[in-house]
Amino acid sequence: MIRKQLHTPSGTIQFPAYIPVTTFGRKYPLDGLIQPYLPRMAQAVMVSHHYALQMTKRPRLPLMIDSGGFAALFEGSRILERDGLGVLEINLGEEPELLTPWDVLDFQEQHADIAFTLDFPIPPNLDKKEATLRQKLTIKNALWARNNRRRSDMRLFACIQGWDIESIGRCAEAYASASFDGIALGGMVPRAKDRKLVLSCVREVRKKILDLPLHVFGLGHPEFVEELISAGVDSIDSSAYVKAAADGKSWFDPNTPMSEPSPTDRLRLALENLAFVSGKVPGRHRLQLYEKSFM
Amino acid sequence: MPPTLNPAQQKVEDHFLLKSGFSVVLQMPTGSGKTWLAKKAIHEALVSGKRSIYLCPLKALAEELVKDWAQEFGKENVGIFTGDYGKQGGKYPVSFQKANILIMTPERLDGCTRSWRSHWSWIPEVDWLVVDEIHMLGDWHRGPRLEGTISRFKRLNPFTRILGLSATLGNRGELADWLEGVELDTDWRPVPLEWKVARYRKPEEKPSLLASEVARVNREGGQTIVFVQSRRRSEQIAKLLSEQGLNALHHHAGLTHSKRRVVESAFRNNQTSILVATSTLEMGLNLPARQVVLYDLQAFDGIGFSPLPVNTIWQRAGRAGRPGLDDSGEALLLAPVWERNIDHYSKGCFEPIRSGIARPDTLAEQILVEVHSGLARTENQLKRVFNTSLAALQKQTIDIQKNTLNMLNAGMLRKEEVGDRILLKATRLGHVVCRHQLQPSTVLRLRQFFESLKSFTDFDLLLIAASTPDCEPRLPVDYEELETLTEELVRQPSRLFEDFKHAGDLLGIGGKQLLSALKNALVLWRWMVTGDTDMVAEEEGCYPFEIHRLIESMDRLLLASASIQRAIDEPFPADQEDSSKPPKSEALLRIELLRQQILNGIEGPAAALTLVDGIGASWIRRLIAHGVCSLKSLAEADSQNLATLSKLSEKRATDWIKQASTLQQRVPATVQAGRIPTRPSDIDLEVDPYRLRRATELNVKWSQSNLWNVTGGSEPRQVTKAENGHFNCSCPDHAKGNTCKHQLAVRLRLNDKILHQSFRNMNANAEIPYLDLFGLWFERN
Repeated sequence: MIRKQLHTPSGTIQFPAYIPVTTFGRKYPLDGLIQPYLPRMAQAVMVSHHYALQMTKRPRLPLMIDSGGFAALFEGSRILERDGLGVLEINLGEEPELLTPWDVLDFQEQHADIAFTLDFPIPPNLDKKEATLRQKLTIKNALWARNNRRRSDMRLFACIQGWDIESIGRCAEAYASASFDGIALGGMVPRAKDRKLVLSCVREVRKKILDLPLHVFGLGHPEFVEELISAGVDSIDSSAYVKAAADGKSWFDPNTPMSEPSPTDRLRLALENLAFVSGKVPGRHRLQLYEKSFM
Repeated sequence: MPPTLNPAQQKVEDHFLLKSGFSVVLQMPTGSGKTWLAKKAIHEALVSGKRSIYLCPLKALAEELVKDWAQEFGKENVGIFTGDYGKQGGKYPVSFQKANILIMTPERLDGCTRSWRSHWSWIPEVDWLVVDEIHMLGDWHRGPRLEGTISRFKRLNPFTRILGLSATLGNRGELADWLEGVELDTDWRPVPLEWKVARYRKPEEKPSLLASEVARVNREGGQTIVFVQSRRRSEQIAKLLSEQGLNALHHHAGLTHSKRRVVESAFRNNQTSILVATSTLEMGLNLPARQVVLYDLQAFDGIGFSPLPVNTIWQRAGRAGRPGLDDSGEALLLAPVWERNIDHYSKGCFEPIRSGIARPDTLAEQILVEVHSGLARTENQLKRVFNTSLAALQKQTIDIQKNTLNMLNAGMLRKEEVGDRILLKATRLGHVVCRHQLQPSTVLRLRQFFESLKSFTDFDLLLIAASTPDCEPRLPVDYEELETLTEELVRQPSRLFEDFKHAGDLLGIGGKQLLSALKNALVLWRWMVTGDTDMVAEEEGCYPFEIHRLIESMDRLLLASASIQRAIDEPFPADQEDSSKPPKSEALLRIELLRQQILNGIEGPAAALTLVDGIGASWIRRLIAHGVCSLKSLAEADSQNLATLSKLSEKRATDWIKQASTLQQRVPATVQAGRIPTRPSDIDLEVDPYRLRRATELNVKWSQSNLWNVTGGSEPRQVTKAENGHFNCSCPDHAKGNTCKHQLAVRLRLNDKILHQSFRNMNANAEIPYLDLFGLWFERN
């Protein structure tokens, strides 16, 4: 069987793929320990826009940079319309911070192999009017990015946001024939408990976008990965492997967490977890040896 | 790469060991192509963009490898990292960052794992860590640090595979289990090994027996390496063989590296046919010979002489037989006719490698290193680290709790509350241990000295540093030297010895160890006074190369001492930005000055000139010749006059003069102290106390009526009892008409009452309240 793949300036990604999330800066020192090993363990790495700004050394594998639009879920954030596009005002410090489609695209074009358009997540129970506005601006931002991109070798994924299967389907439809390199489904993390719903959304998107690459944000729990892939997902990013490791948990043996894990214990656990979850992805090839040495 | 593989290499290839993804322990005889296999693994790593480390036990071997491999892999890829490079911020020929093949000594890699954050740019890219001569894990001194290094490296880079290589492992499987790897052995040798034993009746016959055996091989055009137990013996035997018309050279650790290289290349080019060597030729260098003679089957173990381990015999015998030149190699053992227990040597039943990491001293050091490097910060984390040690696998008791508590009580570790957790942190003292790669006991001893002795002489400081376990080499002291040492010591001023009991407590050692420390201190003192290593070596009966190593060792200990003194002077250091730093204490200045004196071989008021920035040993010699012999005279000098010295600008001279006038106020005055009280031996005994003391350390075995075998000395001896009741011994001491230690040992064994009484009297005299070198000699360590 010929596997689906995506060529990027830093290498080719064979689908399906589990994409580990990493960060830069001082907030999560464990990520700094894990990073140099990611080229051995993964096909690409996902960095959020916020942390990518703090990146000093680029990982040696395809780099995905999201838009940082998830900050719309933070308290005090506001979504504004400027020149027909969606802009996010984040109020965390004293000065409000503006996240605009042009700044995001500009940065991504400097650093990313795969870029995701600026989207605004729609949490469950958000009022309809606000939800509709968020979806409208999400779509406008995506189409704007497509029209304004300058780097043709950077892969551009359009982000889908919606509040139910139908609205998600509509959003996918808007992108289906718009020459994107791939589509990314967002807003699923707060709905992850309802697996059926998530899988139905995935199937709906898959139906609309035919065989374009489909990425899902943030659903990296090992038990769910196989199902998502069979439903038509090509790639998934997640930091769950490192969060579990930070708590001393190994997915090989989740019921007996390690107490007081040291930095290198955490490193080992994170790599083990990554090996474990990658084992759930069919067609794994470069991780077999590593898993073998741990099992 | 050779076109065809030899059977040993083929076996490794057939088992796909290097591609298995696991660590590998390979046991292969010397010369069967271990290094080639390591090179192959390294080559594959290089092709896939990964790095490799090759750990070499000897600096000389590292030099040899780097030359070869730079040609093969490109010199930009191959870096050498040994104690000879990168000193005090100096550059390496190829940097850590750029080297894809890192040839290192274990000590250098230890340093990298201790400060792993500074090396994080390359550590994760390593695929293979080749540990040549992995049996070194069992070495008393280097083994525990090597084990700690491998353990840390594996944790920092879980992808690293270890390739352990050795010819002599008694527990290959156990080592592979420890490394979570696989193992393989092969006994194929490029040249078959033939074991022979030449018997002698008396040790005096050994030299002539050796000469005839060596001459036999020599006549047929073969070369010989003779292994002996001491440097002196290697020189004597080489001389003796040369006198008999044979072409022999000696080789031992007292020779400089370059001198050794000359001897090795003479042997390699067949300009000399016999090398008489100590253990220096046991490991590493590719230097085969048709015949290897094991002249001595016992070695000095620090207290007495004990039989050589099988591992050592095979490491040496493994050099026998030159591939392509000899049909077989000959390993020849010289043994007394009555010694029957030597068959086990040729059978090659190797001793297992035992971990030394659980010993209290080494465990304390490793605990500190783990905490200081941030890799373990709680007792639980430490337990997990050491539960995966080789010692734990070997069911040794590892008491983390007790050792951590000891380190807390000793002020090496402290507890710190971070959020809701209590974490262990290294104190400044603990930092000194890790930074300078010292044992905690060294640092504790130095701290105790500086805390309790507010005023000390240079000799006191040299002696305390020389008495620490990290001072090396330990120069041996001969009985015949004791008189001279006593005379030299009586001239030394000392505050330390004003209170003997306290001095004993601070020094913490006695017996021959203390004698050795005294000699080390005196040798360093002589070096400072004369600035001439060759002359000091000649006078003190040691080698210039040993003095150079001693200077290096002392440099490290005095640097550590300065850090310790700083921690005592300023228990709570001010912020670095705070410009109102307190002036250096007198003790600190004294330490810094002594370090400069040791580094530069200068003594007296001129030494203080080294405190001036830009003035080193060579400038001092030029300044002295110009009439500037102290800081005071420099401060009073005329800059124009000074600038007449070549390469000294007037601007620089003015700066020096300015510095000197500030510094001269700070130079500590000479400490006034009495001389060390010593006394010559005047114990009145029936027999020579030295021989009697040695007799108690020998083993006596009854052989047959009136015949005893005595072992534990440098040679096994036979003592007989004549009908008239007189004892006879085969040793040269007896031949000179002395009552030798061997017959005393037999008499003690036979419960000779007079002797036992003498022994008790001798011990009663041991509590003499002044420094009795002869008394020290008699002490059991």
